[in-house]
Amino acid sequence: MLLNAEPGKTYTVKEINTDDEEMNSFLFRLGCYVGEPITLISKKKKSCIVAIKDGRYNLDELLSSAIIV
Amino acid sequence: MRIAFAGNPNSGKTTMYNALTGRSEKVGNWGGVTVGSKEYPIKEEYTGGKEVVAVDLPGAYSMSPFTPEEGITSEYVRTANPDAIVNIVDATNLSRSLFFTTQLLELGIPVVVALNKSDINEKEGTKIDVKKLSEKLKCPVFETTSTEGKGLKDVISNAIELVGGGQSAPYVQADINLQNKAEVDAEDRKRFSFVNDIVANVEKREMLSSETTKSDKLDGVLTNPIAGILVFAAVMWAVFWVSQAWLGPLVADWLVGWIETFQEWVAGKLENSPAILSALLADGIVGGVGAVVGFLPLVMVMYFLIALLEDCGYMARVSAVMDPIFKRVGLSGKSVIPVVIGTGCGIPAIMACRTIRDERERRATSMLATFIPCGAKIPVIALFAGAFFAGAGWVSTLSYFFGLLLIFLGALLIKYITGYKYRKSFFIMELPKWKMPSLKFAFKSMMERAKAYIIKAATIILICNTVVQIMQTFDWHFNVVEEGAENTSILASIASPFAILLIPLGFGVWQLAAAAITGFIAKENVVGTLAVVYGLTAFIDVDELEMTGGANNVAMATGLTSVTALAYLFFNLYTPPCFAAIGAMNSEMKSRAWLWGAIGLQLGTGYTVAFLIHQFGTLFTEGHFGNAFIPGLIAVAIMATAVILIGRKTRAHFDEKYRLHRDGKSGAAA
Repeated sequence: MLLNAEPGKTYTVKEINTDDEEMNSFLFRLGCYVGEPITLISKKKKSCIVAIKDGRYNLDELLSSAIIV
Repeated sequence: MRIAFAGNPNSGKTTMYNALTGRSEKVGNWGGVTVGSKEYPIKEEYTGGKEVVAVDLPGAYSMSPFTPEEGITSEYVRTANPDAIVNIVDATNLSRSLFFTTQLLELGIPVVVALNKSDINEKEGTKIDVKKLSEKLKCPVFETTSTEGKGLKDVISNAIELVGGGQSAPYVQADINLQNKAEVDAEDRKRFSFVNDIVANVEKREMLSSETTKSDKLDGVLTNPIAGILVFAAVMWAVFWVSQAWLGPLVADWLVGWIETFQEWVAGKLENSPAILSALLADGIVGGVGAVVGFLPLVMVMYFLIALLEDCGYMARVSAVMDPIFKRVGLSGKSVIPVVIGTGCGIPAIMACRTIRDERERRATSMLATFIPCGAKIPVIALFAGAFFAGAGWVSTLSYFFGLLLIFLGALLIKYITGYKYRKSFFIMELPKWKMPSLKFAFKSMMERAKAYIIKAATIILICNTVVQIMQTFDWHFNVVEEGAENTSILASIASPFAILLIPLGFGVWQLAAAAITGFIAKENVVGTLAVVYGLTAFIDVDELEMTGGANNVAMATGLTSVTALAYLFFNLYTPPCFAAIGAMNSEMKSRAWLWGAIGLQLGTGYTVAFLIHQFGTLFTEGHFGNAFIPGLIAVAIMATAVILIGRKTRAHFDEKYRLHRDGKSGAAA
């Protein structure tokens, strides 16, 4: 899970499971899909900041726990 | 001929559109500022004299929309047949942007790619081989910097040249069954790998995006649940303080001096004319409008500061840090942006709700956003702060933070009424790169606002003041109302029935009722009407901020105590906004039930807040409840019962609906 990962490290997305088709495909269009790299920049208890391709995003707990790395 | 501007959110489309057309549409450093399409002719210096209309569209990541405003873009480029498309690409995020680019190239409409923000790439040492990129995409590519107007001429002249020529696509989607998810997925993957190949070929980076930078450390603090919220509170407090307690009033004092001089001059000129004419012109028009214009500097300073905040990139961080709190009451972090925009004007704030994906959250936000006092309410706040609280800065700060509290409480109430439905509410917000806010841009935004304010004062407010003045001067037989018989005027007889309803709130006189009613046309009218009905002007003290002549006059003439003054102020702040904002609410909510719900909620909130302040305030200061405590209590109890009944009904209905959808399984609605 992304929230258990170590900040500053780049991981490969293993699985994305939001139970929400539209959300999955939205993440896809940002470049966040299985096999692609994702970097955990920083994390808090209930949210984290990631780098996907050349953009930075803030994700909430729900979304970050749906991204398995 | 029409050229559409399409690209990812926050790639700089509107900045480019503004530079090309000379317009001042709203821009900001976060994704989702533009929520509707706009068009305007491009300046001739760019088109070589041809008539070309630029169409600015909301940002989109792809042709398949995720939020409502994205849908506007894909719909437009698909169905409106623009003659050419300028695809604005954020050059600092080429790898993401080109996905949409390859889709646009498939439409057969000539495309020119503008590699925008190329100045940032230069700073960061990222190099893009423009020539190679152009070959791979089979369309012209130019480096641009919209904020400085660089490269725009090339983009437009090439787009004009290509019109009518069609477009060959570098990547064509295979003939797949679009209903089949697996096939679509596989196809989209192929498209992305095509894009990745291009990027690997044309882009050289000195700094990898995965490296942690100083700005990441700053973001870490700003999105920290404790530090981030404290910083936000401090920033907003500073904005209110500077605009409404320090710099704003300083300039306003000076301005009011001039307005008074002008009014005296007009009165002097009218010395020999009939008293009615002089009253109408000097007191009604110049006095009433002047009272409103006097507060203009406060609004201008406020706009300037908010523009700086919007331009630097802070809004996305605020949205991120507030998300957990807003989620708890059934809204989302995206609801923060309408709230901050709402400090300027409620209409763009309500429109900004379009970026919220969930319908219930979207409607709830547009219903609640106007609890934050807008620019038009600043004169009202400043008047009461000056007249009853010695110009204390805490009045305005309290007004805003209390508005925020009402948003939270209102959100909980809406959650209760609509029934809590378990639905995953995800939050994802792009954190744009920090940017030094442009003073020029903030100045422009401020002047734009000042212009709108003055126009409003010279039209709607002028007319309202004139009408109020006439209605106050005459009775129903069109005889001039005599001194001492003011209660026989047309205005008094219309406003009196409403005033009765306001007795439990401590301000049940027709003058104050009339001012509150004209406030629905435009909130500045509250100030204008008070000036007219009480024959007062120059609300802000000319010499210093302490309570002096003008201020005492207001307090004495209105007969309000500081408790009832606060109740009246809050009543005006939290009852429904002006009609224009209600119209915006109607078009965003697309539901009569929600609209009436919103108006009811706002009326109920304004009434209840004023009732509680007046009654308990009086209890504390004078040891007994205020006037008409019992009737007011009954009114509030009726409203509370209505909320409970409506809530029961909708939730019962909601349970049924839920069961139908889920084959009789009882839903999680409780």
